[in-house]
Amino acid sequence: MLGRRLSLRLDPRLAGLWRQLRGVAISLLLVALTTVVALLLRHYIGILRGAVLYLVPVMIAGYQFGVVPALVSAVAGVILSGYVYFAQLYTFKVASPQEALNLVLYMVVAVFVSHLANQAKRHTTIARKREQEMSDLYAFSRRLAAAPSAAEIFVAIQNHLAHLVQRKVLLLGAADDGSADGVPEQLRAEVGQVERDEGRERITADDSGNIWLIRRVSPKTPDFGVVAVDLGRVSGEALAEMRQRIDDALADAAATLERLDVARALNEAKMRSETELLREALIGSVSHELRTPLASILGAATILSNAPALAADERLHALTGVVRDEAERLNNDIQNLLDATTISRQQVRPKLQWIEPVDIVNAAVEHRRRRLAGHPVTLELDSNLPIVRADPVQVEQALMQILDNAAKYSADGAPIRVTAEPNGQSVVLSVHDCGAGLSGEEKRQVGGRFFRGPRHAATTSGSGLGLWIAKAFISANGGKVEVESEGIGRGATVSIHLPLSGETAPLETTVDE
Amino acid sequence: MNEIPSSVLVIDDEVQIRRFLRTGFELDGFTVQEAETGAEALRTVTLQPSDLVILDLNLPDMDGADVLERLRAWSTVPLIVLSVRANEAEKVRLLELGADDYVVKPFGMAELLARAHSAMRRQLRAARGEPMVKFGPLAIDFAARAVFINDQRVALTPKEYRLLQVLAQHSGNVVTHQFLLREVWGNEHLDDTHYLRIFVRKLRRKIEADPTQPRILLTELGVGYRLVMSDPPAAVAIGSPDAPAATGSA
Repeated sequence: MLGRRLSLRLDPRLAGLWRQLRGVAISLLLVALTTVVALLLRHYIGILRGAVLYLVPVMIAGYQFGVVPALVSAVAGVILSGYVYFAQLYTFKVASPQEALNLVLYMVVAVFVSHLANQAKRHTTIARKREQEMSDLYAFSRRLAAAPSAAEIFVAIQNHLAHLVQRKVLLLGAADDGSADGVPEQLRAEVGQVERDEGRERITADDSGNIWLIRRVSPKTPDFGVVAVDLGRVSGEALAEMRQRIDDALADAAATLERLDVARALNEAKMRSETELLREALIGSVSHELRTPLASILGAATILSNAPALAADERLHALTGVVRDEAERLNNDIQNLLDATTISRQQVRPKLQWIEPVDIVNAAVEHRRRRLAGHPVTLELDSNLPIVRADPVQVEQALMQILDNAAKYSADGAPIRVTAEPNGQSVVLSVHDCGAGLSGEEKRQVGGRFFRGPRHAATTSGSGLGLWIAKAFISANGGKVEVESEGIGRGATVSIHLPLSGETAPLETTVDE
Repeated sequence: MNEIPSSVLVIDDEVQIRRFLRTGFELDGFTVQEAETGAEALRTVTLQPSDLVILDLNLPDMDGADVLERLRAWSTVPLIVLSVRANEAEKVRLLELGADDYVVKPFGMAELLARAHSAMRRQLRAARGEPMVKFGPLAIDFAARAVFINDQRVALTPKEYRLLQVLAQHSGNVVTHQFLLREVWGNEHLDDTHYLRIFVRKLRRKIEADPTQPRILLTELGVGYRLVMSDPPAAVAIGSPDAPAATGSA
C-alpha cells in the first residue's frame, strides 16, 4: 500500500520538474529572441525606450509554462533590457537612480503580469475541463436516471468510463452476463479478490505492460459488481488523475445505483408479485367461476335427459344431449386453457408412477366416449406391455387431445384405431384415423402453439392448442409425440412414445408370497 | 330401491349445485338436507344423522378435508367427495381420510348415484356380513375363499385372492394404491406400486374376458382401483342413454 503510493508520487514529480525545465529553457529563448528584436528595432528604426518589450516573453512564459519560467524570464529581461536600453549602452551597469527605478518597476510589473497570465491560463483550463466533465456527467446521470433496469445502468457506467479513459472498461459480476471475458488471464485472480473484498482496489500491470485498475463499483457493497479498467501505459500524474476521475464517476454511479436500484428492485418485486397474484386469481377464477356453473348445467342436463317427461319426446330429449355435449366441450376448452397456462409457465411437473399403458388408453377412450361417438373405435392393445414410469394423468390428457383431433378431422363414421405396442426401448400408444390427413407443410408445423391447418379454419372449430399440449405433457414425461400422414385426405397416425424406465420392475415371482 | 327413503346431506356453497343435486337425489328417492358451510354441515349431521353425505371440498368457512376428518372422528356415514380435476394427490388424501369415493366436477347425476349406492351398499354389507358377492360373471365366496367366473372355479394365489377380496369389500368404490398395498403386502411396501400393476394384470388375465378391456377390475388413473358391480358403461349410461358406447371391446 505505502510502496505503491510512493511510486505514484515520484513519477508526477519527475514529470513536473521536466516540464519546468523545458518552460525555463523556452522562456530564456523567448527573452533572447526579444533581445534580438529590440536590437534590430534600435539599430534600424532608432527606438531607444523599448524596455516594455521584455514584458512580452514574461507574459507568454507565465501563461504557457507557469510562474517559475515567468520569473526567470523576468529576471533575464531586466538584465538584458538594462544592457540594451539604459545608460552605458551594451553594459550591465545602471547609471542613474531613475533608470534603477524603471528596472525595479519593470521587475514588479513583470512578476505581476506573469502571475496574472498564469492564473488566467489555469482558470481557462479548469473551466474548460469542468465544462466537459459537467456535460459528461450530466449525460451520464441522465442515462442513469432513464435506465429502465440495473443492466442498463451498468451499460451506462461502462460506456461512461470507457469514454472517460478512452480505453477498455469491463464490468464484472453485476450484470447477468458477468463473464470475465476480456480480462487478461493473470488479472482474474485479482478480480476475484476484489469481488471477495480482499482490498478495495488494485492496480496491476498485465503482460503487455498495460496498467489495469480493478475496483468495486461501490466500495460499500459487492452487489454492483467490479470494474476492470484498462488504463493503458500511464504513469505518474496522469494515472493519479485518471483514478480520481474514475472515482468521481463511480461515486456518482454507485449513489445512483443505491438510490435507483433499491427502489427499482422493490418496485419490480412488487410488480412481479402483483402480476403473479393477478394471474393466480384469474386462473383460480376461471377454474372456479366458469366450472361451477358448468357443473350445474351438466348435472342438470343429465337429470333432464333421464326425465320420463322428456324421454317421451325425441326432439326434447335430443336437446338435453346438446346441452350436455356443449357443456362438456366448454369444460374441455377451459381445461385446455388451464393446461396451456401451466405449460407456458413451465410448471408441468410429472408425478411419476408405475403405470399400465393399457390403463391409460382405456381411461382416455372412456373419457372421450361421447366425442368419439360418431366413429367406430377399435382398440388393439398388447396385453403384455412393459409397465412404464410416467404421470398417468398427463399421459392420458395427451392421448385425449390426440383422440379429439382424430374425431375432429375425420368424417362421421370413419373408423379410428388405437394401438398400444412395444417398440424397442419404448411403449408406443398410437391413434390412427382415416381423416383429413396432413400435407408435408402441415406436418412440419403441426403441434406448434395455436397452429391450425388453414384449410380447416372455416370448417372445424378448435384453438390449435391440443397437439401442443399433448407434446408438452409427453416431453415433460421424457417421451415424444410423432405425427405421420401419407398426405392430404389419407388419414394420420399420431403416436405417443413413452420410454421404458431404466429401473426394472421386479420379477413377478418375487412378490407373490 | 329403498323402502324407507334414505336421507342425503348435500354440503356445497353453490346454490345451483345444491339445486340440481336435490332434484337428482329426490328423483332417486332420497330425502335431501342441505348445508352451505362446514360448520353448518357438522351441526346438521350431529342433530339429524343422514344415510349419505355429499361433500364439496370448496367451502367458504373451512377446508373440506377438515370437515371430513371431524366427521370421521365419530361417524362412518357413507361419504362422496365432489372434487376438481387434476388433483390426484388430494383425492388420494381424502380417500385415506375416510371418504368412500369421489366424483370429478363436472359430473353426471348417474355417476354420482352409482358411487353413492356403492358406498351405501358397502356399509350395509359390512353390517350384514355377506358370505358371497357377485360382480357380473365373477362370484367370490368369502367363506370358502373361492372365486368363480361363470361358475367355473378360478385358481388364485393367496396374494391375488387377498387383492380381490379387499377390492370386493369396497366394491363399486375406488380403493387407493396405498390402501391395497398396506392390506395385501404390508406397511413396508407402500411405495411399490409396480407390485400392484403386475398383480392387477395377472388378476385381470384370470377374471376378465379381455384383460386389455377390463369390465370388472377398473383403474382410476393416479388414484387406485375399483371393482364394479356391473358393466361400467351401462352404469354411466343411466344418465346418458343417447350416448353410444365406444365400440372396440372385443
